[in-house]
Amino acid sequence: MSNNYDVIVIGAGNGGLAAAAECARAGLKTLLLEKHNIPGGSASSFVRGRFEFEPSLHELCTVGTPEKPENVGQVFQELGAKVDWRTHNSTYRLIVPAKEDDPEGFVGENGVRVKVDAAMPVGFEAFSRKLDSIVPGSYEPSMKIFKLSTLMFEAFDMLGSGKVNPVKLMTKYGDVFKMMSHTAKECMDEVGLPEKAQGIFTAYWCYLGGPPMRIDMLYYMAMMHGYIKGGASMPHLRSHEMSCAIDKVIRDNGGEIRYNSEATKVLMKDGKPCGVEINGKTEVYGRYIICNVHPNFALPDLFPADQIPEDAKKKANGRPVAATLYTVYLGMNRTKEELGFHDYSVFIAPTADSDEQFHLSQGKMGGGYVIINCMNEAIPDCSPEGTSILFLTGICYGDVMQGVKPQDYKKMKTKVADEMITRCEKTLGLSIKPYIEEIEIGLPPTFSRYLNTPYGSPYGYQLDMWDSMLPRTIQYGKDQPFDNFLFCGASQERGDGYGSAYYTGQKAAGIVIKKFKEGK
Amino acid sequence: MESLLKSFRKKNAISVIMNRQKRFAAADDSVPSGTDAARELARALHPKKQYVKVAAVTERAADVKSFTLVPDPARGTESLAWFGAGKYLTVFVTINGMPVTRAYSISSAPKDTLEGKYELTVKLVDGGLVSRYILDNWAVGTEVTVSAPEGNFEYQPLRDAKTVIGLAGGSGITPFLSMAQAIRDGDEDFELILLYGSRNKDNILFFDKLAALEKACPRFKVVHVLSDADAEAGEGFEKGFITAELIRKYAPQDAPYSVFLCGPQQMYAFVDKELEKLGLERKYIRHEMFGEFHNPAAQPDYPAGVPETVKITVTQAGETKTVEGSSNDSVLQILEKNGIAAPARCRSGECGWCHSLLISGEVYCPKQLEFRRMADKQFGFIHPCCSFPLTDLVLDVPEAK
Ligand SMILES: Cc1cc2nc3c(=O)[nH]c(=O)nc-3n(C[C@H](O)[C@H](O)[C@H](O)COP(=O)(O)OP(=O)(O)OC[C@H]3O[C@@H](n4cnc5c(N)ncnc54)[C@H](O)[C@@H]3O)c2cc1C
Ligand code: FES
Repeated sequence: MSNNYDVIVIGAGNGGLAAAAECARAGLKTLLLEKHNIPGGSASSFVRGRFEFEPSLHELCTVGTPEKPENVGQVFQELGAKVDWRTHNSTYRLIVPAKEDDPEGFVGENGVRVKVDAAMPVGFEAFSRKLDSIVPGSYEPSMKIFKLSTLMFEAFDMLGSGKVNPVKLMTKYGDVFKMMSHTAKECMDEVGLPEKAQGIFTAYWCYLGGPPMRIDMLYYMAMMHGYIKGGASMPHLRSHEMSCAIDKVIRDNGGEIRYNSEATKVLMKDGKPCGVEINGKTEVYGRYIICNVHPNFALPDLFPADQIPEDAKKKANGRPVAATLYTVYLGMNRTKEELGFHDYSVFIAPTADSDEQFHLSQGKMGGGYVIINCMNEAIPDCSPEGTSILFLTGICYGDVMQGVKPQDYKKMKTKVADEMITRCEKTLGLSIKPYIEEIEIGLPPTFSRYLNTPYGSPYGYQLDMWDSMLPRTIQYGKDQPFDNFLFCGASQERGDGYGSAYYTGQKAAGIVIKKFKEGK
Repeated sequence: MESLLKSFRKKNAISVIMNRQKRFAAADDSVPSGTDAARELARALHPKKQYVKVAAVTERAADVKSFTLVPDPARGTESLAWFGAGKYLTVFVTINGMPVTRAYSISSAPKDTLEGKYELTVKLVDGGLVSRYILDNWAVGTEVTVSAPEGNFEYQPLRDAKTVIGLAGGSGITPFLSMAQAIRDGDEDFELILLYGSRNKDNILFFDKLAALEKACPRFKVVHVLSDADAEAGEGFEKGFITAELIRKYAPQDAPYSVFLCGPQQMYAFVDKELEKLGLERKYIRHEMFGEFHNPAAQPDYPAGVPETVKITVTQAGETKTVEGSSNDSVLQILEKNGIAAPARCRSGECGWCHSLLISGEVYCPKQLEFRRMADKQFGFIHPCCSFPLTDLVLDVPEAK
C-alpha cells in the first residue's frame, strides 16, 4: 500500500474521528492514527469485573429524536453511524449542605440539613416554575433567558441555512449578539434573576469549565438550552459504541485506521508539514494534516523547535488550560433502589455561588464540588441484575499533581476517592462504601495518559470572555499554525463537549475537502 | 422586537478580536514546555517499555528461579516504574524468530523499585515454551525488555475488607510475597492471612522469606497447606487442600474478609467450588487472571466440525500477509508462530491490549475469558489472546509498539 495520503488525521478522539469520517466520505484518501488501541479518547469505556464503565460522558444534550435529530444526532445521522440512544427526562439536582447553625438551613428530602435542594425538571416552563418555588420572583426572568436562547438557536439556524438576511439578523436577533459579548452573570442580572436563583440556574457551569462571571451567555445557553428543552441522551453501550460506530463509517468509506500508532514527529518540507512519523520509525506522507492533539503538547512534541511559527507558540503560552475532571467509578453490588438513588445527576456544592465554587477548585482537588451520577437512572440495564453503576466527578484547575511522587500516588487516589464518597454519603443520607464491588479512580495523570493533554484536562483552553467562542470563530484560520495543518477538538473554538469536538473535526475536514475540490 | 437586554450595548466584534490579539502579542514566545506534573507522573508510572538487565539469579527450587532485574541506562531506562503490590510485568522475548510475551507477577517489594530492583520468579511449566527459555537462558547480564507494571490484582481499601485471606498455589505465591512486603513497609494497609498450597515442604517457595516476613510483620500470617499424603505437618502447617473449612478456620469470625486467589487453573476450579460453600458476596472474592487458555475443543460449547488448520489474512500497519495455523491455537499464538508480533500483555482476555478487528470469519472465545467491551462484540472487535479460529479469518491487528 502506498504511504501517500490526501489527509492524515492525528488522534482518534471525537474531533479526529469526525474529521476522518468526513474526509473518507468525501472520497479523500484518509489515514487516522491513534496512539491508544481503541478509538474515542474520552469517548470509550473500560471493563472491571462484571461492569463496563463510561469514562467521561455525563450526558449529551443535543441528540434529539430519530425524526428530529439535533446537533449530535445529526452528526451521527449524516455520517450513517448507528447508535442506540437512551434518553432520560431529568436535568440535575443541586444540593448545598448547611452547617448546623446556618439560619438558611432546613431539613431536606434525605433528612440532611441543606441550604439548597433543587431537583430541576425538564421543560422551560416547568424549570422556571420550579425555580420560582425555590426563589420567588424567578419565573419571569428565567423564562426571559429561555426566550433569549430560543432566539439564539433561530439565529443559528438562519446562519446555518446560508440564507442570511442581515437586516433581520440585526433587528430580530440583536439580543443574540449582546449575549455573545456579555457574561452569563451580566445577562442574569440584566433580566433580574435573583442572586440565589442564579446559583441554581448555572449549576451546569462545570460542564463548560467556566463560571458565569467568566463565560459569555451565548456559550452557556448553547448547552443549557438543550438540556432543559429535551433532557439528555446516552449511548446504550457507553461512549465506546459511538466511537466504534464512527470507526466503522471511516473504514466503510475506504479510510484507513491505525491503532497503537503514535505520531512521533511531523515531517517538514520547505517549511510546511508534509507527513508524519509513526512510533518513531515509519513515515507516511499527506497533503493535509488534521491534528486532534492539544496544541500545547502537539507543538513541542511533534515539531522541530525552529519550525514552530511564533504566533502558534504565543497562543499556546498565552492561553490558560481549562478545567480538569477527576472521577471515581463504582460498580455497586446493590440496585439503585436498594441504595436509595432516584436522581441521575446530583451536584453537591460547598456553596450556592458558582463563582465561589470555581475559586475553590483552583490548584487543588477536593475543593469545589462533586457530581454524582447513577447510570442506571439513564440506562436501567447498564449493569447486571442486582447491581448498579455510580460515578463521582470533581473539577480542578492547574497543575494539581505538583510534588506527588509515584510511590504516594495510590494513597492519594484512595484519599481523594474516600473524601468524595463520604461527602456523597453524608449529603444524600445514604450508604455507598459497603456495597462497592469494583472501583477505579481516575485522577489528572490518568486522563493525561489517555488524552495526552496538559494537566489531563479534557476541556482545551479556558473559554474566558477575552478568548470566547466569538473571537475564536472569527480567527479560526489565524489560529492554525500552517495552512495545511489544522487543529480540531476541545482546544478549538467551541471548547469542550462531544458535540463541540465533532463540530471542530467536521469543520477542519470541510476546509480540507473544499481545498481539494478547488484543486489545492 | 423589543430587546430583553436593553441596557447592554453591542460590543464591536473588531474590538473583541483586537483585545485577544493584544493578549497574544504580550505572551511568551518560547517553545511551550510540553510538560507538567500530571504528565510526568503518568510517564513515570506507565513507561512504554522498560529496558532492564538481569543482575542476579537465585535458585528457589528445582526448575524455579528468581531473577533480579535492574535498569539498563544504556538502552534508555534510568529507573524502574513504581507498582502497587500484586501487579505483573509482561516479558517480551524472541524465541527462534517468534516474538512472544508472558506475564509474571512481581515478587519483590514495591519499595525495592526505589533502589532500582524488580524480582520476577519463574516456575517451569511442563512443556512450556517461555518458562523453559527463561530458565535456560537468563543469566547475570542478560538484556531483558519488560512492560510497565500492569494488572488489577491489588488491594483496594475502599472495596476490600480489612482482612484478606490469600489463597496461593505454586508460583501463585509471587503477588502475595510482594503484598506482604508492602504491608511490612507501610505501603499497604491490611491484614494478610496466606494459605499457601504446596505438595510438600521441599516444594514450598520462599519458605524462609515468608517466615521472616511473618516475624517482622504482625499483620502477615502464613499457613502452608501440603497436599502430599505423606507430607510432614506440624505447627504452621495444614494437610490436604484449601477447603471452605480451612478458610473458615483462619478467617476472622466476626468481621468481613476478602479472599484473593492466585494459582494454577486447576486450583481455581477446585477452590471456586469451596468458596461457594462460604456464601461470600462476590465483591469479597478476587482472582488473579486465568492465564493462557489451552485446548478449547474440550469446552462443552465448542462447536463441531472445526477444520484443523485455518488461514489468517492479517493487515498490520498497512501491510497484509496470509499465514496458516492450528485451530487449537489462539489467534495471538498463530500470529506469533508466524513471526508476527501482536500487542499483548495479560494473554488472559482481560487487559484488552490485543484488541483487534475481525473483518471476516468466526472465532470461539471461552466464557471465562470474555472481558470484551459490549460494543466490541457488536462491531466485530476481538481479543486475539483468547479467540480461537473456527474458520479462515481476515483481521486488522494494531502494531505491537
Ligand atoms: C497475571 C499473571 C501473572 C503470572 N505470574 C507468574 C509468576 O509470578 N511466576 C510464574 O512462574 N508464572 C507466572 N504466570 C504464568 C506465566 O505467565 C506463564 O504462563 C508460564 O510461565 C508458562 O509459560 P510457558 O511459555 O512456559 O508455557 P506455554 O508455552 O504457554 O504452555 C503452557 C502449558 O500448556 C500446555 N499446552 C499447550 N497447548 C495445550 C493444549 N492445546 N491443550 C492442553 N495443554 C496445552 C503446554 O504443554 C504447557 O504445559 C503468570 C501469569 C499471569 C497471567
Ligand atoms: S493480551 Fe490481555 S486481553 Fe489479550
